Amino acid sequence: MATSIRRKSIWKNIAFFLAILGPGIITGSVDNDAGGITTYSVAGALYGYKLLWTLIPSFIVLVIVQEMNARMGIVTGKGLADLIRENAGVKVTFFIFIGLLLADIGNTTTEFAGVAGSMEVFSVSKYISVPVVAMMVWLLVVKGNYKFAERIFLIFSVSLLMYVVSALMGHPDWNAIGSSIIRPRMEFNQGSIMMIVGIIGTTIAPWMQFYMQSSVIEKGLKIQQYKYTLLDIIVGCTATVVVAFFIIVACASTLHAKGIVINEAKDAALALEPLAGALSKNVFAFGLFIASIFSATILPLATAFYVCEAFGFEAGIDKKWEDAPEFYVLYTSIMVLGVIIILIPNAPLIAITLWTQIINGILLPVVLVCMILLVNNKKIMGDYTNKPIQNIIGWGTVIILIGLSLAWLGLSLFG
Amino acid sequence: MTSQITFYLSQILGMKYLSDDGTVLGKIKDFLIDQTPLPGKESDPIRPRVIAIKVKNGKEYRVLDFSSFEIKKFKRKLRITCLEVHDISTASLTNCLWLADDIQDKQIVDINGRKLVRVNDIRLVMIPAGTYAIAVDVGIDGLLRRIGIDKPIQSVLDPFSVDIPGKFILWDDIAAVDFSNSNIKLTKSSSKLNTLHPSDLADIIEDLDKASRTYVFASLDEETAADVLEELEPHVQVHIVESLPVEKVADVLEKMPADEVADLLDELAEDKAEKLLDEMEKESSEEVRELLEYPNKVVGSLMSTDFYTFNEDLTVAETIEELRRQQPEPAHIYAIIVTDRHERFLSSVSLGELVIADPSRRLKEIMNKHAVSVFDDDKVDSLADLVSRYNLLAVPVINKNRMMEGVVVVEDIVEDLLRRRKTR
Repeated sequence: MATSIRRKSIWKNIAFFLAILGPGIITGSVDNDAGGITTYSVAGALYGYKLLWTLIPSFIVLVIVQEMNARMGIVTGKGLADLIRENAGVKVTFFIFIGLLLADIGNTTTEFAGVAGSMEVFSVSKYISVPVVAMMVWLLVVKGNYKFAERIFLIFSVSLLMYVVSALMGHPDWNAIGSSIIRPRMEFNQGSIMMIVGIIGTTIAPWMQFYMQSSVIEKGLKIQQYKYTLLDIIVGCTATVVVAFFIIVACASTLHAKGIVINEAKDAALALEPLAGALSKNVFAFGLFIASIFSATILPLATAFYVCEAFGFEAGIDKKWEDAPEFYVLYTSIMVLGVIIILIPNAPLIAITLWTQIINGILLPVVLVCMILLVNNKKIMGDYTNKPIQNIIGWGTVIILIGLSLAWLGLSLFG
Repeated sequence: MTSQITFYLSQILGMKYLSDDGTVLGKIKDFLIDQTPLPGKESDPIRPRVIAIKVKNGKEYRVLDFSSFEIKKFKRKLRITCLEVHDISTASLTNCLWLADDIQDKQIVDINGRKLVRVNDIRLVMIPAGTYAIAVDVGIDGLLRRIGIDKPIQSVLDPFSVDIPGKFILWDDIAAVDFSNSNIKLTKSSSKLNTLHPSDLADIIEDLDKASRTYVFASLDEETAADVLEELEPHVQVHIVESLPVEKVADVLEKMPADEVADLLDELAEDKAEKLLDEMEKESSEEVRELLEYPNKVVGSLMSTDFYTFNEDLTVAETIEELRRQQPEPAHIYAIIVTDRHERFLSSVSLGELVIADPSRRLKEIMNKHAVSVFDDDKVDSLADLVSRYNLLAVPVINKNRMMEGVVVVEDIVEDLLRRRKTR
C-alpha cells in the first residue's frame, strides 16, 4: 500500500510541475537565439575551449536573476516595467526603455540575420526567406493563435539539442574541455574581454528579465507553487547553458583546431561541412533557423508590450488595433525595421551586432540594480525580500559586469 | 495678480518652500488631498482639496497643515511660502490620498473609458477657497514634461503647427486603485467603480496586480462583487477568494448562481472549498454540493438549478401573472418548464412564445410539441448542437424519472465552448 500511495504523490508532483511548467523553460529556449548561437560559435572558433568556464558563473547568475523575477511576479502580480515605472520615476524608466527599444531593434535584426544566414546554407536567398518569415510571424501574432504557436516552437526548440550531435561529430578533446572548466584562465586583452561580456550579455539579456516576470504573472502562479517554479527555472537555465556548451565545443573542436576564423553562425555551419560532414552542417543551420524564428516571434512582441506597460498605453494581442494603436504600431515598426536593415545590401551587420551588445551591456547592470532594489523593498515584497546570499551574488554580478565593461572600454580606447 | 493659479504636480515636487522672510525651509515632497464629499452634497462631484503637504527638512520628513501655505506665480515661476509651520497627524484621516505616492505613476481606472491608464502628471488649481486637484494627465504631453523635454520638442513642432498630444481625465471620472505605497484606508472611495458594468470591471481587475485586485474587489457591494466574480478568469477568481476572509467570500458566493459557485470551488483546494461551503447559508451550499458531485464534461456540471416550473393546465395569463409576482432573474426564465400533476417534465415553452400567445390558452396547448431535454449525466458536447438545431435559449435537464434537475442556459454553453477552445 505504502508504495502505491507514494507513487501517487510522485505522479501528483509531476502533474503539478507540468501544469506550471513553462515560464523558465520558454525563457531558457528563447535565450539561445540567433545572437546567442553566433556569439557561442565565434567564441568557440576563436578561443577554442578556453572560455567554456564562463558558462558556469553565467548559469549561477541566470538562475539567481530569473528567480528574483519569478518571485517578484508571484508576490506582486506586477510586471517589471510597472514596478520600475512606479518606483524609479519617469526619467530612469525613459532611459531604460529607450535603451531596451534600441537594443531590441538590434536584437530583432540579429534574429532575421539568423533566418537569412541559415536559409542561405540551404541555398535560399535572404530576399525571399526574410520577408516570408517576417510576414508569417506577423500574421501569426496579430491574426493567429499566439499561445498555440508558442507551444509548437517549444517542441521545435528541442531540436536545439541537435547541437549535441553536431558537437560529438567533431570528436572533441574531453581532457582539454575538462581542464578549461576546472582551471579557468582569462587573458586581459580587448578581444577576450569583449567575448566574455558578449557571452554574459547574450545569456543574460536585459529583455529576458521583463519576459520572465510577465510569463509568471500570466500563468497566475502562487507562492505555494514556488518550489516548482524554481525547478522550472533551473531546468530552463540548464537547457540554455547545455546548448551553449555544445555549440562552443562543436566550433572549438573543428574550426578552432583548423584555425578557421568566422564572423557569423552561418559561417560556422558552412565550415563544419568539410570537417564534420553535411549532416552536421544541416543540423547546425536548422537549429539556427528554429531559434531565430522563435525569438523573432517573441522579442518584438515582448518589447512593444513592456514599453507600453511602462508608459501606460494599452497593450496585448487580445486587444483590437483601434484600442491599442501604440502597441501595434510599435510591434510592427520593430519588425519592419529589423527586416529592412537585413535586406539593405552590404548592411553593416557586424557594427549593428556590436552596438546592440554595447547597449545591452550598459542596460544590464541598470536593470539589475533596479531589480535588486525592488526585490529588497519591504513595501513591495513583504516577507519575500532577498536573502543575503542572493544579494551578494546579485551585487557581485553588477560590480563584475560594470568592471568588465569598463575594462573593455579602457582597453579599446587606450590599449 | 490673478485669483486663480493652475500648476502641475511635477512642477512643484522637489521645489523649495520659503518662510515669510524668504529663507529656505525645506523641500516639497507630496500633497495630501481629502476626497470626502461636503455634508449634504454627497451626490455632487467630489472636490479633492489639498489639506496637507509632506516636506523634507534636511533628512527629516514632516507633514504640515496646508492652510498656512501660499502659492504665488511671478513671471510664470511658482513661489511657495509657509507662513506658519504647523504639523498635522494623518493617523485619523480617512478618504485621503497622497498625490505622488498613490496617484502619480500609478495605474488608475478611467471610468468613462472603462480601462486602466497610467498617470503621468496631476493638474491642480489654486482659488481663494483652497487648492484642488482637478484632473490627471495621461497623455504623451505629460510624459515629456516629466522627462523635461516637452519645451524643446514643442519648439521643434511649432513651425508645423502641431501640438504634442495631451490627454486629461477629470478627477470625477477616475478611481484610484493602487495603494501599495501608503497605508491609508479608504472608506467607500470606490463607489464610482460600482457604476461600471461587471464585465468591464472584471476586465480591469484581471489587469491589476494582486494587492489592488483584492482591494478593488473588497470595496464592491455584494451584488456587484458576485456579478464580477462570475466574470473573472479562473486563476484570478482563485486568487481573490484565497486572499479575502472566508465570511466575506461566503456572503458573495451566496449571491452567485449555484453552478458558477460549483465551478469556482472546483478550482480551489478541497479544505478551502469545504470551509466556504460550511460558512455559506445551508440552502445555497446544499445546491452547490449537489452540483459538485458531477464530474466535468457531463451536463450536470454546467447546469443551473434556478428555474421555474408550471403545471400544464395553467393558462398563459396565469403563468405571466405568477412570473410578475415572483420577479425572477431574466436568465432563469429563458425556458418556462411545463410539468404534469406529478411534477414530471413534459416540455418547455420559451418566454417569447409565452408573451405572444393568447392569454386564455393553456400551457399544454402552446408548449413545444417535441420536448427537448437532456439527462444530467449526458455529455456536455451534445448541448451546443441542441441549442443551435432547435434555437433554444435554455435546455431542461431531467433525471431518469423525468423529474427536473436544472436547466443549462445558452451563455454557459457558449462560455464552455470558448473555454475549451482556449485550452486547446
